[in-house]
Formats: sequence, C-alpha cells, structure tokens
Amino acid sequence: MTTLNEEDVALAGELVLGLLDPSAEALAAARVATDSEFANEVEAWHLRLQPMLDGNDTPVSPDVWHKIAAALPKPTGQDDVNGRVRLWQSLAGLSTIAATIMAVILLQQPAPVVLPEPAAPLIAALGSDTGKASLTARYDSDHGQMLLTPVSLDTGELYPELWVIPADGTPRSLGIVSGDSPSQITINANLRDFIDQGATLAVTPEPQNGGPGGKPSGPILASGKIVTI
Amino acid sequence: MAANHNTLDIDEARRARLTDALVRTGEGDRSAFETVYKATSAKLFGVCLRIFPDKEEAEEALQEAYLTIWNKAASFEAGRASPISWLVTVTRNRAIDRLRSKGKAGFTALDEAAEIADPAPLADAQMLVASDNRVLNSCIDDLNQRDAHFIRCAFVAGATYAELASSEDEPLGTVKSRIRRALIKLRSCMEGLS
Repeated sequence: MTTLNEEDVALAGELVLGLLDPSAEALAAARVATDSEFANEVEAWHLRLQPMLDGNDTPVSPDVWHKIAAALPKPTGQDDVNGRVRLWQSLAGLSTIAATIMAVILLQQPAPVVLPEPAAPLIAALGSDTGKASLTARYDSDHGQMLLTPVSLDTGELYPELWVIPADGTPRSLGIVSGDSPSQITINANLRDFIDQGATLAVTPEPQNGGPGGKPSGPILASGKIVTI
Repeated sequence: MAANHNTLDIDEARRARLTDALVRTGEGDRSAFETVYKATSAKLFGVCLRIFPDKEEAEEALQEAYLTIWNKAASFEAGRASPISWLVTVTRNRAIDRLRSKGKAGFTALDEAAEIADPAPLADAQMLVASDNRVLNSCIDDLNQRDAHFIRCAFVAGATYAELASSEDEPLGTVKSRIRRALIKLRSCMEGLS
C-alpha cells in the first residue's frame, strides 16, 4: 500500500528527468532525504528510465583510467617515513581550525634532511589568520599535476584564483579553481620550476577571467608554503 | 528453469561484490574503486556515448563521472539503491551537467542514435542491468509519441520544460501537465507489466 498520490509519483519522475526548476528540485531532494516512500519512488523511476541510457557496452581506452587515477588523492603509501603523510591526509577531514593548526605544525617542522625519492610529492596547506579559508595542495612534479582541495573557501560572487609566489615575490597565476570541489590542475611548463619547496601558494578572489593583467586584485584569502613530504 | 536460477545467483553475487566495492570506495579504498571501474566502465562509457556521441567528449564525461563517483561514494546507501542504478544516475547527471554547461542540452540535442537501444546488451552488462528494457519499450510505445520523445529529450539530452515548450510552441503549463500525465501513465503501465 502506498500513500503517495499521483502528484507525488509525477514529481518523483520529474526529479529523475531533471525537469524541476532549482527550488522545486531542492524541495524534492529534501523530501527524498526525509520521506522513505518518496525516496523509493524516486529510485523506482531511476530503474524505469535507465534503459533509455543503455547503450552498447564499449571498452574504454586505458588512458582514461590513468587520468582518473592521477586525479585521485595519493594513497597512504608504505613510504610513509615519519607519519607525516598520514597526518597530512587526515587534514581534509578535520575542521578548518584544526587543519590550520596542523598545517602550522607541519610547516614548522624542518624539511627532511634526506629526500626519500626524486619524485617526492610537494604539498602545501593554505590557511588564513581568521581560519575562515583553508585548502590543501599536492603537486606531482614528474607530471606537472596539482590537486587542490578546498576544505573551506568562500569567494562570494568572485572566483578563487590560485597563485604561486616564488622567492622573487612576484605572483604567477595557476588559474581559476573550484571553491567547493577538488581541482586537478596541469601546471604550464614555464611555471613548473616555480612550484618548489619554499614557494608560497595563495588564493585570491578574482573576476571570472582572472585578476586583470594577470595580477592578483583581491586580498589573499588563504596561503601556505610548499613543503616536501 | 534451473539455469535461470543459476543466472540469478550469479547476478546477485556480482551485485553484492559491486555493492561491497562501492561501499569500500566510499571509505577511500582506491583498489576497491579500481574494482568498481573495471566492472562498470564499459557500461558507463556506453551511457556517456548515448549522451555525447563524440568519443572524446564521452571519454571526458566518463572521467568526470568516475571522479564524482569517487567523491560521492560515501553517500551511496547500500540498502536503498542498486549499485549500478546509482552509478548510472551519477554518470547521467554529471554528463547532463556537462552538456548544459556547453550549451548543448535541449530538445534538438537528441538524435536518432539516442533512441532506446533494442539489441540485447552484452552478456556481462546484462548481469548488471537493473531494469528491463522491454517493459520500458512496450510502455513508452503506448504513450503519445511526442510525450515519449519529450521524456527522452529530458532524460538523455537534458531538455528543460522551457525548451520543450518552445520546441512545440506550446504554453509551459500545457507541456508540464502533459508530461506529468504521461509519467503517471508510464508508471502504471510499467508497474502492471513487471
């Protein structure tokens, strides 16, 4: 016996079809979370409609998996010499304040005397004095790939732009990044030398196309030094 | 009959393995994620190719879909959804977002190739298919043809009510109530057959 009426059934179908406007969609999604019968109807609609998406199964080029794997956070490896890798990886799950404190502790530790591998990842914890913004960055210098993960970041109407500030003090843009989900950034070849231990990463709020003239125009929301782990 | 039962058992076992791998992915287990990828990438690529007939775009959509799956796996509720249905939903929604962000969504984006596939899927995929094509096909054939096409446009090409209405030069309200009536009819037909 169902207590859902036809309106509810149609609403669940519209939700699955993606036909609802944003506010109606938010309401329907909230109902999924609180009304199990409605949630079951939504799931049933997924099952009913999905045959439309059944294409022919098609083998995927191995490149695709390599790209996906490269975009994931690095696993906790056995090369975890002094526990800092694990410590670092737990940062993302901590509160902003705790993350900032941890970042300070990390940054205060002296650089390892012996570098474990030539390909040791570079990392940075970007934080702010107010504790309002925090991000983590991990850089694979072999492939010029940076994974930037926002823990908390609010740029209001503007867009977060990532900068590297090397020893010469001049910010170089690494591009506009996502403020709410991880960004995988391919660093331009001419900028890769700047991404090194001791340089600073910073995020400023900027217009959609980046700071005018390639220079930051907004205040630094979060920054942190790059270190080797 | 016995053979059918065996098939069902294998289905169940596969589904259980996939569910388990997805739950472990949600805990940050990369090898479990790779298991999910190996078991489902051909199917989900097929889904992406339905939405993006261009192979390169479909590959990019697939990459985005799997990164979303990695990020969202913790929200997968093993008790509620079928794992493959959840994966297809995440993939479809991500691909439609991509289609919309490129301004390619809408009524006209659906070409003939995106009609419901009739040929039987490969055996492997069949194991994981959570729903029955024939039931949908037969019930969607019972709908008014335009309504059926609208439903496909929305689901496969990300069309909105406004786009559907302007394609037919009909008031928004009329199109909305037509689709809603069609959905209720579709549902009662499918529930009757399955």
